[in-house]
Amino acid sequence: MPSWTEFQPFLVVGLALGGVYALSGVGMVVLYRATGVLNLAFGAIGAFGALISWQLINSSGVNQWLAYLACLLFGGVVTLVYGMVFGPVLAPRDPLVKAAATLGLTLILLGAMDLLWPSSGGESRSITLPTDSSSFMLGGVQVTWTDVIGLAVGIAITVVTGVFLRVTKLGTAMRAMANDREITATLGVPVRRVEAAAWFGCGVLSGIAGVLLADLVALDPTTLTFLVISSLSAALIARLQSITVAFLAAIVVGVVDSMLTPIQALTNYRDMTPFVLAAIGLLWVNRRRTISMSRQGV
Amino acid sequence: MRSYLHGSPVRLATALIATAGAVLLAFALATSSSNASTSRAIARSASATSACGPKPGVKATGTPITLGAINVKQPGTDFTDISNMAAAYFACVDANGGVNGHPIVLDALTDQTSPAQIAADAKQLVTTDHVLGIAGTSDIIECSVDYKYWQQQGYKVIAAGIAPECYSTSNYADVNMGPRYSSDGAAQYVISKGIKKIVFDQSNVPGTAYNVGGVADIAKDDHVSLTELTENVPITDADSVAIKEVDDAGPNGAVVLNFTPPEALVILQAAQKLGLEDHVKMWACSTPCNTDFLAKSLGPAWQGHFYVNAELLPVDGNTTPTVGLYKAILKQYGSAVSGGIGSFSQMGFTIAEIATHALETIKGPYTKQSVNAAFEAVKGFNTNMLCQPWTYGPYSLHIANNEDWTVTPKNGQMVIAQGCTQISDDDPGIAQYRKVAG
Repeated sequence: MPSWTEFQPFLVVGLALGGVYALSGVGMVVLYRATGVLNLAFGAIGAFGALISWQLINSSGVNQWLAYLACLLFGGVVTLVYGMVFGPVLAPRDPLVKAAATLGLTLILLGAMDLLWPSSGGESRSITLPTDSSSFMLGGVQVTWTDVIGLAVGIAITVVTGVFLRVTKLGTAMRAMANDREITATLGVPVRRVEAAAWFGCGVLSGIAGVLLADLVALDPTTLTFLVISSLSAALIARLQSITVAFLAAIVVGVVDSMLTPIQALTNYRDMTPFVLAAIGLLWVNRRRTISMSRQGV
Repeated sequence: MRSYLHGSPVRLATALIATAGAVLLAFALATSSSNASTSRAIARSASATSACGPKPGVKATGTPITLGAINVKQPGTDFTDISNMAAAYFACVDANGGVNGHPIVLDALTDQTSPAQIAADAKQLVTTDHVLGIAGTSDIIECSVDYKYWQQQGYKVIAAGIAPECYSTSNYADVNMGPRYSSDGAAQYVISKGIKKIVFDQSNVPGTAYNVGGVADIAKDDHVSLTELTENVPITDADSVAIKEVDDAGPNGAVVLNFTPPEALVILQAAQKLGLEDHVKMWACSTPCNTDFLAKSLGPAWQGHFYVNAELLPVDGNTTPTVGLYKAILKQYGSAVSGGIGSFSQMGFTIAEIATHALETIKGPYTKQSVNAAFEAVKGFNTNMLCQPWTYGPYSLHIANNEDWTVTPKNGQMVIAQGCTQISDDDPGIAQYRKVAG
């Protein structure tokens, strides 16, 4: 077993990744509460936006901050358009159907990315934020400002979203819709516009996560698309209800995944972390529920 | 907030769609400008390709000689650039007289690492498409699946291999070394520089024990300790992987990577971001890392720290006629070669060059028997892309490419750090090949 000193760098990495998973998880929870849709295309939209940023920076010399802004806008607009087109059609359907529909969007985006940014020939692409090159030492561990941003953005998004949901009219409307969409509508709340705001906000968060994960992990369509699993795990542990629990769960997923790396016996199993923690989390929150089963006619 | 809640949703949606349109337009313009420059480059190089055939500018009109190939093509693993480049070479030959007046046609099929699909591809090539030979195959498991079939059918495959059967069976001869022997080369280089420990890290896929087997033998003979690591790919925590590798290797050790370029790049960039380049004595990598875009992505921090085994001739700054022809064919006929200059297209070029040379030696009709006999008869052919002349030969195993270069990134390019060096016969596979091939 490695010493605590050896674990420290992995803690830093885990906190940064956990922060980005957290903002993704919060985005998914808020969208689910407002619209009833579990957005499985979150990672693919972020990946597509990040690749657009890469293209703008490397092919036409666009200022990188503008390129990252384009990623955020792309995420927001694509998610909004999807929500506006398919949201009303799928509104009366089962949540599982709504989630499966977003898988369709995921596959379309994955195919488009493979077409536009092929990997034959072994090409690889990368996004390097300016904050990668500046760092400081913390207890003998080198910490880059990108690591700090990863965690800080996760915290900030969670806090701001929490305040937004409690203080603003739009947030109140979202919470009301989470409780009962039809009653909320009869009270005069413009449901479609509230949903639009949720879709757009979720899309912008997918863009932010796309840029950060492209830097912290890799600018690879498949990798970024399926990193949504870690965020999804956090959202499920929060039962798609509490953004605070989603934040904490995401941090735990990121840290545990990273801290398992130096443990030789477990290192090759660390990708299971989101699944195992989701299973444990769901069993824990359901521990007091009683399941009754009976056979008809007996 | 009130005004938003009661504003016009149509106006809001219109504004957002217009913004998205602007983003996509800017993106399209960026892409089209790079396409335009490619077209101009192709026009400039049109005359440089006449050397690939016996009759410059005369299109071959004889009965086509159809060859076949199987390449893996799936998200994250796409080897079609190898057959695409071979097809580009054949197109050049066909446009300049062909082979004894016959054009060469490459029938390239793809698979998604499904054994059933790969077996079906092989049968399609033989029984439906009636190919006369196999040249340009490159796949993760094709050799393992099809080697017995090629033996039964009498095909002598010219390929770029990966799996053990590509190098240990009678009916495959490759232009590359594959991951095992290329890793041997990378390990040999760092050992020659006096390191005390090797951390060998590779993808957690079937065949890891085979890939590291030669490195283990070489390290043992040189009294260098070895730690073997594997990573699930795609790597989702590159920072952690880099820290683990450096911690295990120590300041007098070396990290040797055996990954595809995207995976290697994320590890190396993570190490760079964390300032770990010089926390070990050296970093090294097997051949896939030998690409310019990796050299460009890494930057100057890696000069003197990172070394890559190169199975094929480093082409940066190289002005030999072979390299000139390779680049000219790539420009004029290689529009399907998405990776451009790099190991994959070099392998395709070399396979096609060898196959064309073999086909030119056939005096009678072009049949399955004559084509495969000609492939097997290739002996001491100087491709100018490899360290040594290339031989197929009637051997029970083939490691035709067993000498290599070592390159290092410098100013955004890969430059030679060490000239041609034999892979050590501490690896029993190499020893056995040298014994049978002489």
